[in-house]
Amino acid sequence: MDVTLLLLALFSTVGLVFTYLAVTERDLVRAVVYSAVQSSVYAVLLYLLRAPDIVLVYIPVSVGLYPATLLFLIGKTERVDGE
Amino acid sequence: MRRVIVAVSIAAFTALLAYATTVAGALGYLGLETRALARMFLALAYNPNLRELTAMSPAAVAAIVWDFRGVDTLYETVVFYMAIISALAIYRGVHKVGGGGSVGLSLIVRVVTKLLIPMNIAIAVSIAVHGHLTPGGGFQAGATLAVVSVLLAVVYSVNSFSRVGVEVSKAVALQSTGLIAIAAVVFTPLIYGVLTGAQAYLMQNYVKVDSGFHFPAEVLGQLISGTLIWLNIAEFLAVSFGFFTVFMLLSLREEVVKQPLLGEGHGS
Repeated sequence: MDVTLLLLALFSTVGLVFTYLAVTERDLVRAVVYSAVQSSVYAVLLYLLRAPDIVLVYIPVSVGLYPATLLFLIGKTERVDGE
Repeated sequence: MRRVIVAVSIAAFTALLAYATTVAGALGYLGLETRALARMFLALAYNPNLRELTAMSPAAVAAIVWDFRGVDTLYETVVFYMAIISALAIYRGVHKVGGGGSVGLSLIVRVVTKLLIPMNIAIAVSIAVHGHLTPGGGFQAGATLAVVSVLLAVVYSVNSFSRVGVEVSKAVALQSTGLIAIAAVVFTPLIYGVLTGAQAYLMQNYVKVDSGFHFPAEVLGQLISGTLIWLNIAEFLAVSFGFFTVFMLLSLREEVVKQPLLGEGHGS
């Protein structure tokens, strides 16, 4: 069995778990952190799929810019998601 | 109940996607062999023997992005610039970023960040100027440098922008410099063609079958791949300071921007 395929399966499963956590979490700040973890795992997946150009733009966007934008927006609204 | 629905729908979507892309072959052939199109790009990206067809860049992705489909990338830059313009239009009247008494995070975090920021800048510049040789390029480098603006806003508070001398007007000026540089590189062949009467094409990088015009592919023995290095550096300026502008405006506190924003009411 190819090691790359095993690692792809492992990291995409981790991404799936954090997607579930991000969708169900009521506290928006924690949801953003879960979502950032999921994006970081996706950066690893893109590296395993041999797309280094995408990895280089995905890491700053997923770890820095995207959570920061969402946190700025959450700062202007309510932290806990209501029904 | 809600969690069960979410879990089941995620699992069902994943299973469907996995089935479609592997067994059903919805994305076509996914093998390890290189396809004919990829072989063509790999053969032409850096090939001094085929002077009329090559982009003179060993980084095949950079060759495709700024040479083979350069106009696409040009319009992507335009779309990005439009988004920055709309952000500036919403925040019109807000001239000064800063004010307020917050001091940022703890001393440990601030010292560590102070050490990280120079590394971040160095890596961003390296990604930009090596964009035609290794994976990376203008947009990647710009996104990397934009992280500095987030660190400044979060770790040192909004006031730090004016303390390190970055203002909205300066960021917009640097972004526009990048865009003007892109335009200069794009129009240089055309101006050359008009002045000398020779055949030259818009955004031309290297010699073509009916045109001898080309940007220098090497300077002092160093491969710079003609237009690619200049376009990468210009795009780096445009993207990074575009992000800087947006994050400076987004990080403003509501009470600071409310007055200028409400000042321009309709009909009042």
